[in-house]
Amino acid sequence: MKRLTDPSQLAAWKTSLGEERQARQKTIVVSNGTCGQASGSLAIIEAFGREIEKRALQASVGLEITGCHGFCEREPNIVIYPEGIFYGPLVPDDIPKIVDQTILKNKVIGALVYKDPKTGRAFGLQKEIPFYRKQMRLLTGDNLRIDATRIEDYILADGYQALTKALFDMTADEVIHEIDAAGLRGRGGAGFPTGKKWQFCRNETADRRYIVCNADEGNPGTYMDRSILVANPHSVIEGMIIGAYAIGAAEGYIYVRMEAPHAVKQVTIARDLARKHGLLGKSILGSEFHFDLHIVEGAGAYICGEETSLMTSIEGYRAVSRQRPPFPAQAGLWGKPTNINNVETWANVPLIVRQGAEWYSQIGTAKSKGTKVFSLVGKIRNGGQVEVPMGIRLREIIYDIGGGIRDGKKFKAVQTGGPGGGFLPAEFLDLPIDYDSLVQAGSTMGSGGMIVLDETTCMVDLARHYMHFTQEESCGKCVPCRVGTKQIHDILVRITRGEGEEEDLEQIEELAEAVKEASLCGLGQSAPNPVLSSLRHFRGEYLEHIKHKRCPARACRELVSSSQQEARKRKHG
Amino acid sequence: MVKLKINGRDIAAASGSTVLEAAQAHGIRIPNLCASKALSPYGGCRLCLVEVKGKRGYLPACCTVVEEGLEVTTDTPRLRALRRQTLELILSEHPHACLICSEKKDCEEYKSTIRKVGEVTGCVLCSKNGRCDLQDVVTELNVERVRWPASYRDFDVHREDPFFDRNYNLCILCARCVRVCNEVRGAAAISVVYRGPRAAIGTSLDQPLVDSGCQFCGACLDVCPTGSLSERGLKGEGLPDESRETICPLCSLGCGLEVDLKKGRIVCSRPKGDAPVNGGQACVKGRFVVRDTVHAPQRILRPMVRRDGRLIELGWDEALDFVAQKLKEGIDQESAMIISSQLALEDHYIAQKFAHEVLRSDPWVDFTRFSCPALFRAELQKQKISLPLNFEADSLSSAGTIVVAAADIVLSHPILWLEVVKAVRRGARLLIWNNAETALERRATFSLRTNPGSDLAVLVYLCRELLEQRPKDWWSAIPAAEELKTSLEKPGQAILTSSVGLEKADLLSAVRLLQEAGPAVFLIGPGMVQGPDAPRLVQMLWNLALLCEARVIPLAAENNERGVIELWPSGPSNGAFETRVIDGLAKGRYRTLYLAGNLPKLGQGKAPDFLIVQGGYHGAAWESANVLLPAVTWAETDGTFVNAEGRIQRFRSLIDPLGESRPDWQIFCRLAEKMGCGGFSFQSAAEIAEEMSQALPSLHEVSAHHLKKGRPAFVREDLRSSARFIPLADEERGLENHEMTPAPAQLEDVPDYYRGLDLVQEVKGLRKLRERDKARNQNREKQEK
Repeated sequence: MKRLTDPSQLAAWKTSLGEERQARQKTIVVSNGTCGQASGSLAIIEAFGREIEKRALQASVGLEITGCHGFCEREPNIVIYPEGIFYGPLVPDDIPKIVDQTILKNKVIGALVYKDPKTGRAFGLQKEIPFYRKQMRLLTGDNLRIDATRIEDYILADGYQALTKALFDMTADEVIHEIDAAGLRGRGGAGFPTGKKWQFCRNETADRRYIVCNADEGNPGTYMDRSILVANPHSVIEGMIIGAYAIGAAEGYIYVRMEAPHAVKQVTIARDLARKHGLLGKSILGSEFHFDLHIVEGAGAYICGEETSLMTSIEGYRAVSRQRPPFPAQAGLWGKPTNINNVETWANVPLIVRQGAEWYSQIGTAKSKGTKVFSLVGKIRNGGQVEVPMGIRLREIIYDIGGGIRDGKKFKAVQTGGPGGGFLPAEFLDLPIDYDSLVQAGSTMGSGGMIVLDETTCMVDLARHYMHFTQEESCGKCVPCRVGTKQIHDILVRITRGEGEEEDLEQIEELAEAVKEASLCGLGQSAPNPVLSSLRHFRGEYLEHIKHKRCPARACRELVSSSQQEARKRKHG
Repeated sequence: MVKLKINGRDIAAASGSTVLEAAQAHGIRIPNLCASKALSPYGGCRLCLVEVKGKRGYLPACCTVVEEGLEVTTDTPRLRALRRQTLELILSEHPHACLICSEKKDCEEYKSTIRKVGEVTGCVLCSKNGRCDLQDVVTELNVERVRWPASYRDFDVHREDPFFDRNYNLCILCARCVRVCNEVRGAAAISVVYRGPRAAIGTSLDQPLVDSGCQFCGACLDVCPTGSLSERGLKGEGLPDESRETICPLCSLGCGLEVDLKKGRIVCSRPKGDAPVNGGQACVKGRFVVRDTVHAPQRILRPMVRRDGRLIELGWDEALDFVAQKLKEGIDQESAMIISSQLALEDHYIAQKFAHEVLRSDPWVDFTRFSCPALFRAELQKQKISLPLNFEADSLSSAGTIVVAAADIVLSHPILWLEVVKAVRRGARLLIWNNAETALERRATFSLRTNPGSDLAVLVYLCRELLEQRPKDWWSAIPAAEELKTSLEKPGQAILTSSVGLEKADLLSAVRLLQEAGPAVFLIGPGMVQGPDAPRLVQMLWNLALLCEARVIPLAAENNERGVIELWPSGPSNGAFETRVIDGLAKGRYRTLYLAGNLPKLGQGKAPDFLIVQGGYHGAAWESANVLLPAVTWAETDGTFVNAEGRIQRFRSLIDPLGESRPDWQIFCRLAEKMGCGGFSFQSAAEIAEEMSQALPSLHEVSAHHLKKGRPAFVREDLRSSARFIPLADEERGLENHEMTPAPAQLEDVPDYYRGLDLVQEVKGLRKLRERDKARNQNREKQEK
C-alpha cells in the first residue's frame, strides 16, 4: 500500500484487510513480548512455522506474532482463533499435537489448557480464564490481534480512525475539550488532568511547541509502558499525532528507555511504517497538518524519567532536573512550550476520540476515569500485566485476577507507586483504587507498579532497598535528595543490622519530611515515601528490629544469623 | 518594574529578576550557596527556600521570578528548620570540625585548637579560611552541631594541573564552577559527572584540566563558595594584609584587578567585580601571572655600571652622573632611543620629551610587532577617511553578527571573547576567518579557513558578491560605489583559484551570513593586514564593512597600544625599527643606544659604543650593557594606560618600589636635570598627566580632573563621518601574493611578555598551557595533511 492521501483510502484499505482475514480458517496467535521471548516463545513460533510448512497449511492457517497478552505467568502461550482457545505454557514438543488436534480436528487438548491452581477447574477459552475475566482491557485488548511490525493489524483494529475523526471532523479546541470532558488524568503518576495540560501548552504564545512521550519507564517491577510499546506502538503514535494537532506541535519525541531494546525496535518500526503510509510527516492523510516523530533512546538513568530531566536529556545534556516553574508547558524543550505525557496516557487518546468522552467517562470513579494498567508482580500467583477499570478493589486484583498469594503464604501488603509510592497493608484490601484514594491511604498510583508482599518480606529491609535505589538514582543536583536520602538509607542499614536506636525513627521521620519539602523535583519529593509509609503501617516491625534485634520476616541476614547463632549457643551451651 | 512584598515590605524589582535578587537589592538577606551573580539560576543548595502566598510548598528564591503582587516570606520557623536541616546535610559531606567547634572564637584569636584538627577535618589550613561562603552561612544559620555522621567522600586531590589544586572532598556541588565555565567563559571544560552519592565535578574522562580545554582563567576559583579549588601559590598564606586595585598590563584590554598584598608583596590577583572592562572576569595572566611578573627573580634592583668589563653596583647619583657625562660627551653624535610600548602614558610622554629635548633624536617605540589600529588609521587617513577606534567591549554582546578575522581572541583577547560568547548565547552569528583552527570554532556559526596569502582574493570576492546581491539602490547612495564595482570587475581581479583553500559554496555561505548581518562587528587581528598588500587589505576590509553596515575594530595587541598611538601623532614605527637601528649601528651612525624597551636582535651588527639599559629585568641586553638603570614595574608606580577600547585607565602603585628601582619618568627627569635641561621638574605622575592633557587634545581626559568625575574617560576622536568606498587600486602584483614566500601566517603568538620578560619562560603553568595549545595546533595540522 502506498502513501495515504485521503481518509477514504484508509477506510477502503481496512475493508480489504478484513476480507483477507476472513479468508483464513484458523489463526494461531503467539504472545511474543519480552516476557514471552524470555520463556521461549521464539522456539514455539519456529515450531509452528515448521509444522504449517510441513503440512502445507499456509493458505488456511495464519500465524500471528504479537506482543504480550498480559498473562506473563503462563508464557509462552498461544490463542487460537476464531474460537479463542488458550494454551500455555507450551514447549516446542506440544506444537505438532496442537496442529493435529486443534487446528485440523477442532479438538481442545485438555492437558494444555489453563487450570485454576486452587480449584483445579479447567478453562478452555482465553476469555473465561479468571485472570482475564475481571479485567477491562481497553488499551491492551487488541494486543491479541496486533503484530506491531504490520500496520495492517492496527488498521484492522480500528486504528487511525480516531486520527481521521480528529483531523477532519474536529477542531483542535474540540479535541482538547473531548479529552478534558473524558476526565483523562495523566498515567505517569501525578494524575494531572490531561486536557488541562494540553490547554496550558496550547495557550502559550510561541513560534513552536513540542510534544513528548515519556517512555522512560524505570520504576522497579513495572512494565506497562514497555508492553504497550511492544504490543501496540501505533496506539501511542496515533495518540501523539492527535495531541500534536490539538496542541499545535509539529515535532514530537518518544523518549524510550534504552534498557527496553524490544520496545525501541517495535516503536521505531511502527514510526517508520506510519511515515511510509503518510500518517506522519507532511500533510497527514492529505490534510494540512504536518507532524513528525523522533525516537530518542534514554540515557540509562532513573532520573531521565523525570520530565525536566528527560527534556535536558533530549537536548543532549546530562539528565538533571530543574526547578518548576517554569513548567514544561511554559518553557520545555529548548525553552519552547512542551507537553509531556506518559505512554499509557497517549494510548488512551485514540480511544477517547474514537468512542467519545461520554462513553469514556462512564468508566471508573467520579474523579478517576477509564482504566489503568498495572504490573502485578511479587509474591502473587498469577503475575502479569493487568488492565482494570478505576475504582476496582485491591482484593479483586490480588485475589480474583492475581489468584492470591503464592505458596499459600499470608498477604502482608502491596506496594504501589514505585520508589516514590507507599505500602497498603491488609486493611486496605477493600479500597477502591483510584488516584485520590491511594493518596489518602498514604501511597500513590504511580505509573502502575503493584508489588505484592507476603509475610516473608521485611518492611525495614524493603524500605532500605527503596532508599538505596533512590539515593543511587538521585541526579545529585539538590542537597536534600542527594545527601538526605543517603543519610536515611544509612540509618536503615544500621537498623537492619541490629544497630538501630529508638531515636533513629524520629530522626528518619524528621529528615524524611525535610527531604520531601525541600527537594527540587519529584524524585526527591517522593523518595522518603516508602520509609514513611512503612513506618506508618509497620512501626512495630521497626521497633522489633531496634529493641529486640529481631527480624520477624527473617529477611535481614545479620539479625537472622545472629539469632540463630544465639539459639545454637543456647542449645549447646 | 514589578511590585511585590517581601516579609511585608513593599518592594519594587526589575521585571525578570528573581526574588533573591530583589531581596538582596533591598538588604533582605536570604541564605544561599549556589546562586551567583551573572550565572543562571540553579536551585541546588535549597538554602534560599521561601514561602510564597498562594503557592504550594517552598520555592527557591534564586529560581523564582518576581511577579506583580507576589507575597514572599523569607523567615519562618519551618523555613529556618529546613535550612538548618539542609545545611547539616551539606556539612555531613564537608569537613566541619572547625565550623561547629565550640572553641571557634578563641581559635581565631589564639589558634588554641589548631593542634587538634588535621587538614581533612578543619578549616584552619584551608586556603579559603576567612573568605568562605560556607563559613558565612554556618555562622548566619548558627549551626552548632551536625546530627548526621560525617561521610568523607575520599576523592583523590587533583594536583596535576598548573596554578591550582582541586580537592572535591570539600565540594558542595553547587555547580557554580560548571556554570561559569560554560555560560560565561564558553569553555565547558568541567561538568558534573556521575549521579547520586558519586556525583562530583570532573572533566571529560577524568583528564587533567590542561587536557580538557581549560584556559586557566580562574573563574571557577573565584566563584567557588568553599576551598575545593585552591590556588597553589596561596597555600599557607592566610588572609592578606590588604587588597588594592590595579590595571592589568599583560594584554590590550586592561582588566581591573584586585591585588592581595601581604608584607609588601603581591600574593594574589583577582578580577575586580565591578571593573568596567572585565566585570569580575580575568584570564590566566591577570589571575595567576601578575604576581610572578612583579616579583620575578630577574628583576634589576640596583643601578649598575660596567667598569673594566664587569658590572658593579653603584648608587643612583653616581650612576646618573656617569650616564649624564657620557651622554654629554656624545651629544653631537646621533643617539638612538627605543622605548617599550608597555610603559605608562606618563613615562612615554617624558621619554619623548627627553629624546627630543635632551638627546635631540627621534625615538622608536618598541612594539614587538606592528600595531593593527595604527595601520588602519594611517591607511584610511591617506584616503581622507577617519576610522573611529574607540568602542566598548560590552557593546559586542548586542551585535547580530560578529566576524573574527586573523585573531585567536580566546588567547589574545580573552575578555572580548567573553562578550562574543554572550552574543552567541543571545543568538548572534559568529563567523571565524583564520588560516588555522582555533578554539573559537566551537561556537562559530561558520568558519572560513583560507590558505595563507589569499586574504585579498577572498575579500575581493566577498565584496563583489555582496555588491551583486544587495539591492543596488541601497549601496549606490554611498559615494564611489560605481568605481568600486568597476574596479572589482576588472578582468583578472575576480579569479578565485583553488589556492584560496575554499570551495565556492563556502564563500557563498559566508556572503549569505554577511548579508543578513544586522548590527555587525568585525574584529580584525594584526595578521590580517600584514605584508606588502596591507594597504589594499585595509581598504577592502573597509569596503566590506560598509557593504554589511559593520563596525571595523582593528585589535590592539599590547596594553597601552592605543595610548601610544595617540601620543606619537606621526605614527609609531611599525616594526621596521629593528633594521633601521641595526643599520644605523653598523654604519656607525649611532654610537649611543638608550634602551627603555627591548634590545633588538643585533645579530652580526656592531654593538654600540655606549649602551644604556633602563628596564625591569635582566635579559639579553644585560650582556652588553654599559649601564643598567633599574626601573619599576607598573605595580610600583602611578600612571595611566589606554586600553584597546580607547578607555583611559588610571592605576596607582600597589607596593613600594622593589630594591632601588625607580619609575621610568623619574629616571628620565633626574637625568635631564643632571644634564642641565629645564622643564623636567615633575614630582609625580599626576603632574605629567596634567601637562600631557593640555599638550595633546586627544588625551585631554587623562587629567585627574576628568578621571575624578567617575564616568568612563575615553580618548577624544575626530569623528567626521566619511562613508565612502575605496576602489581597488591596480597594482602589478596579483591578488594572491604567492611569490612572497612564505606567506605570512595570520595567527600570531599571544603577547606573553612584559617589558622584555618572557612570561612563558618565567611562569611554568603558563608554559604548560601555551605548549598544550601549540601541540594541539600542530597535531591538527598533521591530521589535516
